[in-house]
Amino acid sequence: MRSRGTRGLWGVVALLLLAGLMALAATAPEFLSTPDLDRIALGPGDAPPFGTDDRGISLLEYAAQGASIVVAPALFSGFVVMMLSTMAGLVRCAGLTWIDGAIQVASELVGSLPRLVVILVVALILPSDYRTLLPIGLTWALLAAPGAMDEAAATAGRLGGERFVEALKAHGFSGVRIYLYHVVWLNLRSVIVRQGAEVTMHVVFLEIALSYLALRRNEPSFTHADSEFSWATLLYQGYTALLGSDLMHALWLGLGLVAATAVMAQAVRLSARAR
Amino acid sequence: MVRLLAALALPIVVPAIITMVLWALPGHPAEIICPPGICDGTQALAERWNLHLGPWHFFTTWISNAVTGDFGNSWRVQQGFPVADLIWESLPATSMLVGLALVPLVVGAVLAAAGWIPKLLDPLWQAIGLVPAVILALFLAAQVEITYGALSFGGWPGQLRLLLGALVLGVADNALSGALVGTRSVFEAELRQRYVQIAVLRGESTLSNALPNVLPALIGQFRARTLHLMSGAVVVEVVMGVPGLGELLFDGTLMQDFGVVLAATWAFSLMSAVLLGSQALAEIAVALWVRSSPSGVAEGAAA
Repeated sequence: MRSRGTRGLWGVVALLLLAGLMALAATAPEFLSTPDLDRIALGPGDAPPFGTDDRGISLLEYAAQGASIVVAPALFSGFVVMMLSTMAGLVRCAGLTWIDGAIQVASELVGSLPRLVVILVVALILPSDYRTLLPIGLTWALLAAPGAMDEAAATAGRLGGERFVEALKAHGFSGVRIYLYHVVWLNLRSVIVRQGAEVTMHVVFLEIALSYLALRRNEPSFTHADSEFSWATLLYQGYTALLGSDLMHALWLGLGLVAATAVMAQAVRLSARAR
Repeated sequence: MVRLLAALALPIVVPAIITMVLWALPGHPAEIICPPGICDGTQALAERWNLHLGPWHFFTTWISNAVTGDFGNSWRVQQGFPVADLIWESLPATSMLVGLALVPLVVGAVLAAAGWIPKLLDPLWQAIGLVPAVILALFLAAQVEITYGALSFGGWPGQLRLLLGALVLGVADNALSGALVGTRSVFEAELRQRYVQIAVLRGESTLSNALPNVLPALIGQFRARTLHLMSGAVVVEVVMGVPGLGELLFDGTLMQDFGVVLAATWAFSLMSAVLLGSQALAEIAVALWVRSSPSGVAEGAAA
């Protein structure tokens, strides 16, 4: 059942998770604490809430710094995709066919190359001062945008496009109400929100993947400053735990944060489903 | 026809865009690739990569060298080693990885289209697909290293890494669920069409009637999935330790080896162009097939 209550419940779950991640990001220290060799690899019971790493530093600090790296760029990237999708849907309803054609051409061009290849080229040619997650996330958003715009335009097209708007105008509704309420809120919302949530989640996963790969090579990541630590650090510590070190709690925390991101994106999607 | 032209243009457009972006960014391209603060020999690099005589000179020189297979020598990934050799050495692993990863996708798509995989299981595939490739690869790489230790990169363990990498690529990041759900939904939409129902009443098979009409969409999906796998191959190759083109590209980016990155990107653009060209040719073939009247229709008309 896609009742209002169920959707509302998913909305609450999404908001709670988002608030949790934002609170975590807000409490992120600028630098990690000094290593404490008396508190090495303590579990969550001995060093609440998440335990410590192999230098005695609280894993909470890693989680907070990781959240501060991803939250703003990921949300902004998702927002960009939502805005572009909304525009594409509105354009279809306004009957501007030449923009439709331009979107299809852009979709064809942008979709021709593997996305991660484009991301790595962008990471290479970005000036070192700009090497943060934001330009990389925005690139990912722009790569995902043509597909999202195409879907939003197709949804608006199925609605009737220009004829739908004309019919509502004949009923005496204002243009603002027709476009923003009838088209966007009632009909495009589910597509737009799903695309935005997916891109937000993908940008978080992208950061984790790129930072993890850099860690595997013992090189600094191009998604954040050297003084900051991504959630990938937790996963890398977890990887060493799988090989025998005493840091399994780091793995669980890393997986928990990844799962929280995925659940948040799914909850956003489910909360915006069409009736 | 537009796709065919795009396929032909792609290997030229990709280095052209990189060239344009390099010169559009603030600062000299050589300083972007090799920032003076953290890197020595910016001027020498500019001359070596023809960056000192402007974008047109750089682009034409690079393309004309690339056509002859000359990408220069690696600067940092493997110092002094010809980039072309690095590319050739890494291509088989990536091709194998992507090829093997396509197996579960194609099998799954066929089974889903035939209705042998129940729709009820879709949430399960989608839940599995939510797992990022990096996480799944992390667990499997650890398992291989625990089992085979220091010898886990050659022989059978090396092949196992490749197989497990293909499994990760095929399952993670919604690859399998997308193939199952996408193919099934295309078929379901087509089977609801009136002409298919009439064909059933005439005693013809639904597949032979629907297939020509769904093939363009399926071919498009197949290309998109292959591109998705090629993208994911970068992550899987590095985490699983598979010496492929993705790993080379990532190492090049991480170590700021401009020659390696440009050549690897060009190799990816060539593969993408082949995919795009194949899609275009397949669509033309399907269009010709659809235009020629089916034998059943001709017989019916004659009667």
